[in-house]
Amino acid sequence: MTRPGFVLEVDRSTPPILTWHGEGYRLERLPPGRSRVIYPPEATEALSDPDRAIREALLNPLGDSKPLPELLSAGMRLTIAFDDISLPLPPMRRPDNRQRVIEAVLDLAAGAGVDDVVLICALALHRRMTESELRHAIGDRVYDSFAPSGRLLQHDAEDPDGLVHIGLTDAGEDVEINKRAAESDLIVYVNINLVAMDGGHKSVATGLASYRSLRHHHNVKTMRHSRSFMDPEHSELHSSNWRMGRLLAASGVNIFQIETTLNNDAFPASAAFLQKREWEWSLRDRAGFVASSKALSVMPPRSARSMFQAIKAPHALTSVHAGEVEAVHAATTRVVHRQQLVDVQGQTDIAIFGLPHICPYNVNSIMNPILVMCMGLGYLFNLYRGMPIVRKGGVAILSHPTPWAFHPVHHPSYIDFFEEVLSETTDPAVIEAKYEERFATDDWYRHLYRTSHAYHGVHPFYMWYWGAHALEHLGRVVVVGGDPKAVRRLGFSPATTLADAFEIASDVVGRDATISHFHCPPIMIADVH
Amino acid sequence: MNLRFPFGAPSWPGGVPLPPAERDLGVHYDSDWARSPLARLSRSVIQTSLTNPVVRAITSPTVRGLDRVAHLDEPAIFAANHSSHLDAPLLMAVIPQRWRDDLFVAGAADYFFDTLPKAFISALTLNAVPMERQRVSRTSARRATTLLDDGWSMLIFPEGGRSPDGWGQSHRAGAAWLAIRSNKPVIPLYVEGTGRILPKGARRVRTGKVTVNFGAPLFPPANGDARSFATAIEDSIAALADELVSDWYTSRLRAGASATPSLSGPDAPAWRRSWALTGTKSTGGANSTTKGWPWTAPR
Amino acid sequence: MRALQVERSLPRFAAARIASRPLALRLGEADLPEAPGPDWVTLRPKLSGICGSDLATVFGRSSRWFEPIVSFPFVPGHEVVAETDTGDRVVVEPVLHCKIRGITPPCTACTAGRTNRCENLSAGHLSPGLQTGFCASTGGGWSGAFLAHRDQLHPVPAGWSDEAAVMVEPVACSVHAALASPSEADRCAVVIGAGTIGLATLAALRSLRSEVTTLIAVAKHPEQRRLSVQLGADYVAEPSELRRAVRRATGSWILDSGQLTGGADMVFDCVGSSESLVDAIAVAAPGATIVLVGMPGHVGMDLTALWQRELRLVGAYAYGPEARAGGRHSFDLAMELIASRDLGRLVSARYPLDRHCEALEHASQAGRRGATKVVFDLGLEKRR
Repeated sequence: MTRPGFVLEVDRSTPPILTWHGEGYRLERLPPGRSRVIYPPEATEALSDPDRAIREALLNPLGDSKPLPELLSAGMRLTIAFDDISLPLPPMRRPDNRQRVIEAVLDLAAGAGVDDVVLICALALHRRMTESELRHAIGDRVYDSFAPSGRLLQHDAEDPDGLVHIGLTDAGEDVEINKRAAESDLIVYVNINLVAMDGGHKSVATGLASYRSLRHHHNVKTMRHSRSFMDPEHSELHSSNWRMGRLLAASGVNIFQIETTLNNDAFPASAAFLQKREWEWSLRDRAGFVASSKALSVMPPRSARSMFQAIKAPHALTSVHAGEVEAVHAATTRVVHRQQLVDVQGQTDIAIFGLPHICPYNVNSIMNPILVMCMGLGYLFNLYRGMPIVRKGGVAILSHPTPWAFHPVHHPSYIDFFEEVLSETTDPAVIEAKYEERFATDDWYRHLYRTSHAYHGVHPFYMWYWGAHALEHLGRVVVVGGDPKAVRRLGFSPATTLADAFEIASDVVGRDATISHFHCPPIMIADVH
Repeated sequence: MNLRFPFGAPSWPGGVPLPPAERDLGVHYDSDWARSPLARLSRSVIQTSLTNPVVRAITSPTVRGLDRVAHLDEPAIFAANHSSHLDAPLLMAVIPQRWRDDLFVAGAADYFFDTLPKAFISALTLNAVPMERQRVSRTSARRATTLLDDGWSMLIFPEGGRSPDGWGQSHRAGAAWLAIRSNKPVIPLYVEGTGRILPKGARRVRTGKVTVNFGAPLFPPANGDARSFATAIEDSIAALADELVSDWYTSRLRAGASATPSLSGPDAPAWRRSWALTGTKSTGGANSTTKGWPWTAPR
Repeated sequence: MRALQVERSLPRFAAARIASRPLALRLGEADLPEAPGPDWVTLRPKLSGICGSDLATVFGRSSRWFEPIVSFPFVPGHEVVAETDTGDRVVVEPVLHCKIRGITPPCTACTAGRTNRCENLSAGHLSPGLQTGFCASTGGGWSGAFLAHRDQLHPVPAGWSDEAAVMVEPVACSVHAALASPSEADRCAVVIGAGTIGLATLAALRSLRSEVTTLIAVAKHPEQRRLSVQLGADYVAEPSELRRAVRRATGSWILDSGQLTGGADMVFDCVGSSESLVDAIAVAAPGATIVLVGMPGHVGMDLTALWQRELRLVGAYAYGPEARAGGRHSFDLAMELIASRDLGRLVSARYPLDRHCEALEHASQAGRRGATKVVFDLGLEKRR
């Protein structure tokens, strides 16, 4: 019933193609004969009774894990860790997967009479979530049960008393995680697996880790050897996390992993055209497009931003697996691939990435220029398996307004990174060597990360490392419709229109360059042969 | 003497179907006309323009737990505790739209359907269907199951009537039995606060705040045991009540330990039952807030 | 000879202010004033700079403070390299203090050698005037010729370009400012403004204050940013980025209201506007010294921080013997600095007197137009 992904060869009769542009979208005509459009698979079928499916997964775990009720007993210490605000995108309608799963787990825990339960938001170096964001993720009932008594915590990677050093992996990596979690009789990790990068050992080994531990895999060398980090089997990022995860298991940290997957249903029915193929747009879709783009063109950016940030996706649960981490993650990855893989033949000279309004780090916030780079060259570029959709030395064209704007509460160190670091250099290796330590240890950033809602001081560096592989691979990056000053600061070439961007790209790849348009969101993985 | 309207009786408008000539009352009252398109339209107008705003103004309801029924999209039986005449109109106002439009209320045949005007108003405004309090007769059971099978949802108060003293009463098995017969999920509801606003026997309404807590749907057991299913519904409503006074996880812990406070209050003389309802003033000191039942119920 | 003259005319000042045109100034024939005494010589300017205070005057924005210490009509121009009758090139130290005015005994300040703090700017045998270029009895640099006292002359070393020489007076001001903050523990310095004075202050701090480890410049325009880095700034910030830049450099915090918990140990305001002074106070660490280098005029601001953080707000005017440099004169230090850092390149445009409107316009938009110091070229003025 749901159709797989599809690669359209553009000819003269192809309509213009929807291209995201931050808080908005444009229809762009692509040159016929040498362009193709990669469409994601349509949304796969949802589970009809999600709560029953969750209960069954908890009772029938994968791998060598016992059913959850057998792991629960009165008097034990139970820690439930869950994914933070960065997932899913856009945020899903209530009830969120995390709420469903946590309630099911707690129901069993209550049946077993477990009193000592703590919930931890596994935010690693991300910003702390606000009350309303937590309520949205885990539901009012869970929030009201645990927050007032201080049993709903947010992980603090800088708390000297809240971390415990587990040991070193074979490769000499420090493994240091949340103390409460490490000292619990059982950690139940509740995950949402939106892309193939999420989940597995990365859940605990990254989500609950300290800066000291994270920097072993969040660095330029690792990211350049993760091709891509969306493909765990060829990702150094994941190898490192798996080493850490195995050390955790060997050190007696018990983890019961619960992973859930979502389908591609990312936009509400009123904006269905955003996930339809252009030639199938109905009258309603066309009216919706025209009306919304007209409205957006006259709207102040701030209103457009709050309008887009208010979007709640009708994402539906498609699978839930529970049990031993690696067995669970293998099953989850299969489901993610079933939803997201698209067969693509060969690379092209140019890839066009329309960047939507949201990336994992600007939920309820502003997509600043550094996040534009990360979203384009970190996330979208890396959504491939095999090889990138653009050839080595090719050109990536990003479409985003790239305003010189930052959320002052969420991204304080980003501002300094942009003002100070990027005005000196854009080379990830130089940036890492020269500036990372100072930002990572800056007291003010640390204070804001621990007490306010700020990303950790080092986070913008990670965003830049995320794109390190792409920066090395690409001959040039062009940003269409961006603030020229901000785009130049990123080290990219600004272009006013897509035609200008092709013109600029022709310096690098010639006049008859082949073009791929990556029609995302919804999310997909290009399986390039 | 013929007085003209409004001093006299109104003439019957042509568009509104006449109540049936056979004016059987009580459980035999035939309320089918109340589900005709015109009656549904009138009810919808009355609800949206009159009863819902008035009920909301009086009770300022807080609705919780709707997420537990978010994915449910089939006819269901709503089973609620009952302490006031406000309960039915209030629930008609807060039950989500996808059920509200096709919802009927099981009303006590001996109370709502004893005179023709009462029967008419109940049927028109609440889409009430007569039902016995004590034991569901074959007639009313058949009527209810037919409606449920036709895609209607039902609101029923399993206690069989309003609480006489503020405490809950033991449940009758009617709701469970109908759910099993028609194989429909039961959505337990707990209504807190209507008893303070308009208790049984009160002559005046005072405004206040009420909370309606929606529970997770309960599906009829495969073995068809109505009695145990009724107990499950009763326990579930008691747990919903517990959730409002403690927190969700504590209520789950108590439910897990079979220690959920009973809704029917202590098994004690009347004065102690009333005393337990008045709150904790006697022991809580100057700063304690006055709380009603059931958190004062002795363990 | 020809000269650009400023006359006392309130309507003209008002018109200049409203129209933002140099209406207070008039180009015309003028006579050289009578020499007040035997020690006076006639100088023929070669280059004569346009300074911020000159612009304030001709655009009618000067403070009324100057009214009793100037005398009309005067010929502006106090940044001058000139030739004597004997053909020697000199630069003029323009302050008209007791000795030059023939006042004996001199005031306390002059006795102590601090002629820039002279109390007798309106007494003696000269008309009132704080400097050459504001005094009716001497004339000024924006003309074919003017008078100077022998004590005002500093010889220009052989081999120097006129451009380098005309920079001596402004650079000496910056040297004096850079040496104005007393503390030895200063580590982070901020220079707000990247015009001639700002850039020269950067260079002076780099050369004369080795204890300054971090030097942050505030510049608006690309050319200013480039020069700031060349002259020794560790980091160049836009005005809007200043607080964050200082925070980074000093490891302090920014509180919710936007104020820093710490800050820079010395701040040099080379702009002199309300905005720049507000910025200066905002980034000053408790106990820090804020030096006003640019002429401020009227400013309005909240001084709570000045009080609560025990900030020192000091002015730095003109030049003299520098206690922090072993008593050497600012002019000598400035000459060394100009030679070592090639500051003559800061002269970016030369105009004849006929094009004075253009010149003044250019000078008032120097930063935006990629220029630093605009000067009048008087080499072509007829000798009479």
